[in-house]
Amino acid sequence: MAEVTLTNVLKNYKLGVLKDTLRNINLDIKDGEFIVFVGPSGCGKSTLLRMVAGLEDITGGELKIDGVYMNDIPPVERGVGMVFQSYALYPHMDVRENMAFGLKLKKFDKDTIEKRVAHASKILGLEALMDRKPKALSGGQRQRVAIGRSIVQQPNVFLFDEPLSNLDAALRVKMRIEIAKLHKELNATIIYVTHDQVEAMTLADRIAVLSPLKDSAETNLEQFGSPLELYHNPCNKFVAGFIGSPKMNFLKGQLIEIGEERCRVKLNTGDVVTACVDARRANVGDKVELGIRPEHLVPVDHPDAENRLSGVVQVAEHLGAESFVYMDVDGEDFTVKAASEIPVDTGDSLEVGIPAKACYLFDHEEKAFRRTSKYNRS
Amino acid sequence: MAIVQPKSIKYRIWATHALVCLFLLAILFPLFMVVMISFREGNFATNVSDSIFGLFFPGFDSLTLDHWRLALGMSYIDPNGKEVLPPFPVLRWLWNSIYISVVTAAFIVVLSTTSAYAFARLNFSGKSLILDCMLVFQMFPAVLALVAIYALFDNIGSYIPALGLNSHGGLILSYMGGIALHIWTIKGYFETIDASLEEAAAIDGATPWQAFRLVLLPLSVPILAVVFILAFIGTITEVPVASILLTDNVNDYTLAVGSQQYMASQDKKWGDFAAAAVMSGLPITVVFLLAQHWLVGGLTAGGVKG
Repeated sequence: MAEVTLTNVLKNYKLGVLKDTLRNINLDIKDGEFIVFVGPSGCGKSTLLRMVAGLEDITGGELKIDGVYMNDIPPVERGVGMVFQSYALYPHMDVRENMAFGLKLKKFDKDTIEKRVAHASKILGLEALMDRKPKALSGGQRQRVAIGRSIVQQPNVFLFDEPLSNLDAALRVKMRIEIAKLHKELNATIIYVTHDQVEAMTLADRIAVLSPLKDSAETNLEQFGSPLELYHNPCNKFVAGFIGSPKMNFLKGQLIEIGEERCRVKLNTGDVVTACVDARRANVGDKVELGIRPEHLVPVDHPDAENRLSGVVQVAEHLGAESFVYMDVDGEDFTVKAASEIPVDTGDSLEVGIPAKACYLFDHEEKAFRRTSKYNRS
Repeated sequence: MAIVQPKSIKYRIWATHALVCLFLLAILFPLFMVVMISFREGNFATNVSDSIFGLFFPGFDSLTLDHWRLALGMSYIDPNGKEVLPPFPVLRWLWNSIYISVVTAAFIVVLSTTSAYAFARLNFSGKSLILDCMLVFQMFPAVLALVAIYALFDNIGSYIPALGLNSHGGLILSYMGGIALHIWTIKGYFETIDASLEEAAAIDGATPWQAFRLVLLPLSVPILAVVFILAFIGTITEVPVASILLTDNVNDYTLAVGSQQYMASQDKKWGDFAAAAVMSGLPITVVFLLAQHWLVGGLTAGGVKG
């Protein structure tokens, strides 16, 4: 088991010709931690993982595993095990040979190989399938063989590259739980890439949110922290919009009153909203953006409904346990997630309550102001 | 097929079958005729009075194994009581053809597989230029370069006689030049194999060579078999290059070159020629039957999510 440290890591596929893919990535991954890289497609999260694995060159910066400088070390000597999105099983070998392949290359003796393969297949419940070829396995079984292939190597760090994205929804949930169990069982350092934020939120000890690199940006590592920290205290609008489902609602406005605990914002809709945000680093009159999570909105008669906002219903989805209402608020899309059924239909106008404690506020550079409280809808 | 078809499709299927049968007849008729000529007495000459049927089957009494005796290196007694000796070492030619073709095909498979791997997986400058050039140059038939080939091998022979004119080594070397299309074929196949398989092998601790040999090659057997067959057929039927590189010693000829010897301008021995020709088809058939075992699909199934 090992610590992984990335310092000022830079990736550029063709220096001087192409733009940087990754810039100034600094991550300090502790022993036994489950780290998830998450971000929209094209943000370089898989590239970063492949750089840790040794499948891509590191253009600049430093990668250390267990304190050892790894930039120029080939994959096999880095002590990493990798599970690919496409499984990448050897089609001409059966399950046992697939798992034993790496050990045979490393010239382990037969007993050790057999013991390790048996151990891994027991953990993953593959005992009955050992003599099958990959084509005779289902998607979930193939994924488990791919995981087994990395377990037998007893790597210091497990790398998962979108391992569940090829599975159907039900299997994905099942495998997600199995991976969480596996992490507890092996107590291993795991780096896991996904674009599915549910996977990220449920599996991770800490999440690294990456964004597609902008030319002017110092880095495209937006935030690195625990799932709830990202949820409650996103450091900018990108993270706030990326973490949470459905996506956070954003409304533009202007600061009209600033206090230590609270501030008041006049939205472009004309409504004035009180937010539990410390905006003292800004000035009255500054342009800001208010963020409200769909699940934090309350009915207008709710005691927390300090602010009100109304809009025209576009679509209402009733799922039984919860409802989603997609509204148009002064030309902006606005989503409401309600715990119970709301009797509205397309074209109706709907007024919702916004608790002051549930507000997020971002300045004109999209950086977040410090929130002075958390909100949980009761 | 699960799609519901209109009734007229039945007639179209019937017509298609008829057309295919007709086409097969057209292809097989000359072959059948050559086989019949090799069993027919004397030299084949069309007789105006022959019916179409008589053209290739003159009757049981005119069947003979004489041509085959000569082709197989045995003599026979002609109607005048004279012993006719085999004029050419046909079996020797056949052997030359087979071993030159096998060695050439094997070398071509080795060379084109390794080059195709480089073109499919490695990045180097000028890659696409070289690929395009190979394709373009391959479009000019070797016949255009006969003079050059002759001069080249004449020269090589003065340094390394085993690779010069009138040597099988030289002939094999000249055939090695024709691998561009094979490289393209194999490269195309390699590119259908997910590169993550080799990356997985690299993480498992395989060197690039091990990844190539233990992962990529076993999956490429069908295309290697195809290339082997194509190279084998191409070599065993090749005449122009072989006929200028092998001139001095009749024993060194390949069957394709040697069988031209029956066609002296005043003395065309159609019967002997037909027997030799049929014989030259045998090794191709055998190689094809053997290689068919390897021409299986779905080797890569299940390795990666399709």
